[in-house]
Amino acid sequence: MGNWIYEKLLPMLEYLPYVLLFGVLAALLITLIVTLVRYRQGKPVRRSARDTLWGYFFIMPWMVGICIFFLGGVANSLLYSFYNLKLDSGLQLTPLTGVDEAGNTVYTPLANYVSVFNKELNFPVTLGNFAVSLVLQLPIIIAFSLIIALMLNGKIKGRGVFRTIFFLPVIIATGPVMSQLTAQGVSSVPMVNQNTMAVILADFPEFISQPIMDLFSQLILILWNSGIQILIFLAGLQKVPTAMYEAAKIDGASGWETFWKITLPSLRSMILLNSIYTVVTLATNSTNPIIDLIYNATYAVTKGYSYGAAMTWLYTLVVAILLLITFLIVREKKEKKSKDVFRQDMEGRARAAQSKKLSKMMGRRKTA
Amino acid sequence: MAVGGTKVNPKKFHKNQIPLYLYLVPIAIFMGAPIVYIINHAFKPMDELFAFPPRFFVSHPSLENFRNLFQTTADSSIPISRYIFNSLIVTLGVVFLSIVISTMAGFALSKMNFKLKGPVFEVNNIALMFVATAVTIPRYLTINALGILDTYLAHILPLIAMPVCLFLIKQFIDGVPNSLIEAAQLEGASAFTIYRKIIIPLTKPAIATGAILAFQSVWTNVETSNLFTSSEGIRTLPFYMNTLTSVGTVQGQGMAAAAALIMFVPNLLLFIVMQSSVMNTMAYSGIK
Repeated sequence: MGNWIYEKLLPMLEYLPYVLLFGVLAALLITLIVTLVRYRQGKPVRRSARDTLWGYFFIMPWMVGICIFFLGGVANSLLYSFYNLKLDSGLQLTPLTGVDEAGNTVYTPLANYVSVFNKELNFPVTLGNFAVSLVLQLPIIIAFSLIIALMLNGKIKGRGVFRTIFFLPVIIATGPVMSQLTAQGVSSVPMVNQNTMAVILADFPEFISQPIMDLFSQLILILWNSGIQILIFLAGLQKVPTAMYEAAKIDGASGWETFWKITLPSLRSMILLNSIYTVVTLATNSTNPIIDLIYNATYAVTKGYSYGAAMTWLYTLVVAILLLITFLIVREKKEKKSKDVFRQDMEGRARAAQSKKLSKMMGRRKTA
Repeated sequence: MAVGGTKVNPKKFHKNQIPLYLYLVPIAIFMGAPIVYIINHAFKPMDELFAFPPRFFVSHPSLENFRNLFQTTADSSIPISRYIFNSLIVTLGVVFLSIVISTMAGFALSKMNFKLKGPVFEVNNIALMFVATAVTIPRYLTINALGILDTYLAHILPLIAMPVCLFLIKQFIDGVPNSLIEAAQLEGASAFTIYRKIIIPLTKPAIATGAILAFQSVWTNVETSNLFTSSEGIRTLPFYMNTLTSVGTVQGQGMAAAAALIMFVPNLLLFIVMQSSVMNTMAYSGIK
């Protein structure tokens, strides 16, 4: 079993990104040749063929970049996680072996993954903490940035200055400045007494209380992380047609109703975009403790790169699951649309008014 | 109504705005704190840098940290201008190329129909959530195999395909109305003209945001200098700043604070330049 994996399956992995790259290249060439042949025969070039050609042309530079420098690395890291990698004189890959009960040497491709769970006692705990804090932070970031975006979209003096201030943390949120700031305790809310919090939360199990404590000690840090989200919401808000607000106002809708029935549904795709962006940035942020664990393991003498790669893949799996859950919760639901009576009503009225106008015109034409 | 979509700043102050200010001003103070801190920290003399409990504001500002920093750079064998030049080339190269590549790919993924479109976008999603530290060693091997170790290309090429950039820009291009593109096609515009005349102008906010993100990730990047270069003459400014300030002496802390301010200033300048296009988001795409 292990033998087959090492001899047949894993070597194929190395070529996976190149298969994709060459697949796109081949598709481009085939379409090009077919189109040229048809053109030579005097047949008109089909629009779909032209579309395809341009599509591949536009996607190509990015494909080359991502396949060679990123996917190549990703596939290789998966490959190396099944080996023992040494870099002292060139690249040396030795298959992982173990001894079974009968004393025979057997291949154990998953040994790195198993040892992550055996050796790295911190890993599952940190992973769990990360998942819980993500669940807590995501709604806060989304709600906060939505509120700020709503306020910044309003008519106030000095709006440009406020927008700049809210976006500024984005451009300094990386690097040594941030770690200096957190070390100084700037990121916690001064009003919230840490000790009081600890007393209140003492009755809860640690896996719940710890993330909540972290949440409060990092509240400002979380708010600093929401610059891009505010920006995306602002862009979404400005795309909502003003005519809809006017129609709602005429019908006597309050600001509260307008928000829930018009603003929020219009922002649905932006909320999805923001949620995914937030999960991704939180997960790959360099201040994330899991990234720290992986980094330390990768450069530790006793563990090494293959071990770090195994950890990365486990982590990526968890992040993917979290992303999928986020997507399923936030995505646009088709059946919900039909239930949105208010919106339908608005649209229906607009249509009725239009047809009335039309019939009036038609009637006038008839009489004329 | 507070939720209307207007573009211009109101000229006058009105009483109705006061409640909004009550919320916005305190939050803005929190959000602006790190910038104030960076500036204050760089001017702190030695005794204030190490004061306990640490203080937020500087009480006796001095230029001592900057003086130390410039003295040290003057003593080194390679002039600091060389590092600045390298950093400029690398940063400009990455920002420009990554924006061109991302907008092109975003246009294709969002508005064109071709096979393999789905898998390509999936690839981007995978790249988006993969931890970058994990690919450094395979990346080194790739760069070694390409034979571009110790060149500017080793700084630039690994970073130009930014998944976050593509993701943001693609989502924005999704919002460009299809009817606009169809109208252009009817007028006989080629895909390239559409890209240049419609997509680029309409997605300026996303492009500006992407440019800022790309700039920030390159400008402070020490990894490429650390791993893919071996001669000093090709390394970049953040790497040099890191070597200066990581010596571990007491002076190093002060120099680190001054260096942080120097590294931060271009970020701020770029943002102020980009600000108007970031903020005037695509309110008016020409079609209702």
